[in-house]
Order: sequence, then structure tokens, then C-alpha cells
Amino acid sequence: MAKYYKIALSILMISAIIISCKKDSPVDEDGLLITFRQECFVSNFELLGADFVSVRSKTAVIDTVAQTIDVEVLFGTDLKNVYPQFSLATDCKLDPKITGKTDLSNLASPKVYTVVSGNRKIRKAYKLNIKFQ
Amino acid sequence: MRNKNIQFSFLVIMMLASMVACKKEEYVIPDPVSQLTNDCIKRTIGPSIVSLPLEFAYAMAIPKSSGKLVSAQVEASIAGASGTYLEHRSFFTNASGVDVPVLVGSPSVTVDKTTKMTYSVDTSAATLRYYYVIPEEARGQSVSFTFSVTSSDGKTASYKMGPYTISRMSIRRNLAVSNGVNAFISIEDMAVYNAAAAAPISGKIDLVYLFRAAPTTFTHALVSPGADAAYLPGVVLPSGVNRSTKLRKVFNLQDRNLANLQFGIYVDDVDLKNVDMVDMPNYAIGLRAEAGVWVETADKKYRAYIYINSINPAGTAVISMLRYTL
Repeated sequence: MAKYYKIALSILMISAIIISCKKDSPVDEDGLLITFRQECFVSNFELLGADFVSVRSKTAVIDTVAQTIDVEVLFGTDLKNVYPQFSLATDCKLDPKITGKTDLSNLASPKVYTVVSGNRKIRKAYKLNIKFQ
Repeated sequence: MRNKNIQFSFLVIMMLASMVACKKEEYVIPDPVSQLTNDCIKRTIGPSIVSLPLEFAYAMAIPKSSGKLVSAQVEASIAGASGTYLEHRSFFTNASGVDVPVLVGSPSVTVDKTTKMTYSVDTSAATLRYYYVIPEEARGQSVSFTFSVTSSDGKTASYKMGPYTISRMSIRRNLAVSNGVNAFISIEDMAVYNAAAAAPISGKIDLVYLFRAAPTTFTHALVSPGADAAYLPGVVLPSGVNRSTKLRKVFNLQDRNLANLQFGIYVDDVDLKNVDMVDMPNYAIGLRAEAGVWVETADKKYRAYIYINSINPAGTAVISMLRYTL
């Protein structure tokens, strides 16, 4: 009888090990799910000031072919302390990541943000052009 | 057989444990007050700021058969500022939720740290309010209180409250500023000056209030005298007024004390101490009512939070400020 218990226990243990080691889905270096999606674009852009209120004077123009974002900001906007917000196609991610306030004051050298598709195989670099009202 | 006995015993223990765990504790009616009793709550919430009152509600009672209340007193660890008093009226809350006063004694007398009120009516229960106006000496320190009551049978009951840490902030409310007139703001003095008054104290002037209808995004602004001329259009600064003060705009931070007891948000010492002012600009334009700005003076001696109480398109505004010495 004890022999059967041992066999059953061994089978259960092996099954548990197999199940626990099985990789469900691939994830990237950020722990995000890598999917089959190939879409790779910016769908919307917002720019907030230090008070978390929008500093845009009009809607940002996103050119997904030329891969540019043109945004006009209000007079007096302090571009050293702004919070850019990107809306991306499903499963995409942004590189570099936006982790807090960002310095976009160097208008002569527009910052470039790269959109990475859901399958992590397509990368599109968007140039962020800012001008004052 | 032995295993079966063990299993049975275990089952019995488990059942007993379940029964004990589910036993409902009977409610016990508390003993009625049989002697002089007192209780106290602090009604003021938020930071304790010098010049503002701390409010307490002190309740006391004695069985009618034992006597009546004779006097009540509060002793503070630091003497309160002018305006400290213990109510000589007892309050009850009526059906509409309104606190209704009933006169129970003569106005309180404050001598040094002690405020005393003597009952003039025959009463065996009362709730008195105590207002302690925080004095300058208490800034940054702790203050505690001992409430006590004496009854006609010679008994005394007391209740300790605190200690409460007093904020290092200073407060100034409802300062009227106007474009081109009372436009020069000193954080050190927590005051507003016109150009003539600002000239002799140029080293204390941290901000200029101005209003410009165009561009439409400019409107009401607080600008450092040392800011770019683009943010001081048409402004003639008094000689020597040139400090560069850092400002950070904030929205939706309506401090209750600054907003004249509206809203439920408080700015405290820790906020002014920890606010990130690195790389902040020296101007804040497009200010609206109920918005605010964090301020750090050029000499890094003070930080402040300026709240915009109201604005007027004619080029005036009312501001209030909290100041913290770094």
C-alpha cells in the first residue's frame, strides 16, 4: 500500500515541477508580454506642465509616415519641467521610458522617442518638435 | 485501535474549539457614572500653526446625588497667546445638527498657563470648548494640556491631551495685490508693498505681481524680479529689486487654512521641506483662482506656498501664504 502512495506522490511531484517550469508566454526585459502585433505608431500626444495641466496651445500633429510629433506650447512654458505623455498602438512600448519630469528645453536638438511594436521586432523613432506659441 | 482513539479525540477537540470560537459574547451594560468623570477630544485637524487656535471639547459630569460642577480649568505646557479662552457656555447639538450654547458660568480668566472658568449655574454636566491660540514661543515645539474639573463634593478629575507638535510654518491670509500698485511681495515679511515702500527694502522683495491681458495665457502672474524681461513687460522695478526666486505652479492644492476654511487639504511642514525646487523657473504666469505656487527664495532661507484666493480681470488678486524657514 505504501508503495502505491510513494509512486502517486512521485508522479504528483514530477507533474508539479513540469507545470511550474513551463513558460506560459514570452516576456521582454521589462517583464512585458511579447505579442504577435506588428502595429507601431503614436496615436496621441500630451504635454503637461509642472502643475500637471496641459501646456499645449493646440492639438499635437502626429505624422506617422514622417515619424514626427509637432507640438506648440503656451507662452512662458517651462520646458525644463514637463511631463510628456504618449498614447501608443496596442502592446507597443516607448524607448526611452518616461519616468518623471523631463527636460525638453533644448529646442535645437529635438528629443527622439522610439516606439517598439508588440512583437518587439519593429522600432520607429519619432522626433518631438516643440515650438512656442 | 489506538489510531482510531487518537482520531476520535482529535475530532472532539476540534468540535469543542469550533463551539468556543462561535460563542457570542454577551453585551454588558456599562456602569453608570458614579463619580466625577471627564473626557476630551481635539476638534482641530491639520497642522498646528502659530497664531491659529487649537480647539478642544471638554466634557464633564457628576451624578446629581453627588453634587454639582464648580469649576473647570486647562493648563497648557506653554502659555497661550492672546485670545486663549475656555468657553463659559456649554453646547449641545440640536436635531438640525446646530451647536446650541447654554450659559453655565462666568467668562474664563487666563493667568499665565492656566485658563479657569467658574460655574454660575447649578449643573451636573457640561461640555466646554477650549480655544488655545498658539503663541510664537511654541513654534517647532510640543505643547500638551491638562484639563481638570472640580465638583462641590471636593473631588477633582483631570484629562491629559497631547503632546502636539507645533508647525514651524507661519501663515498670512488675504493679502490684496494689484497690478502696478501693491505689487511687490516679500516672503520674509509676508507682506505686500508698493514701489515706494519696496525701494528701501529691495533685498527683501522676492516677487512681483502683474496682470497682462495679452498674451491671453499671461493674465495673472507672480514673477521674480530677476526673471527675463519677457515676463516683466512694462514693469519698472525699484532700484535694487533684483532677486531671482524659484517658483513652481500647482493646481488643486487648496489648503484649508489659506482658503478660509474651505476644502479639506492641508499643506504641512513636510510638504514645504520636501518639495522639489531643483531647476524650477523664476516666473509663474497664467495663474488662476484656487491655484498656487511653491516658492523658494534666492538665499534659500525660506520656502513658501502662495495660494490664489481670488482674481479680478481688472488686475487685482487676493493671495494667502504659508512660509517655512529652512
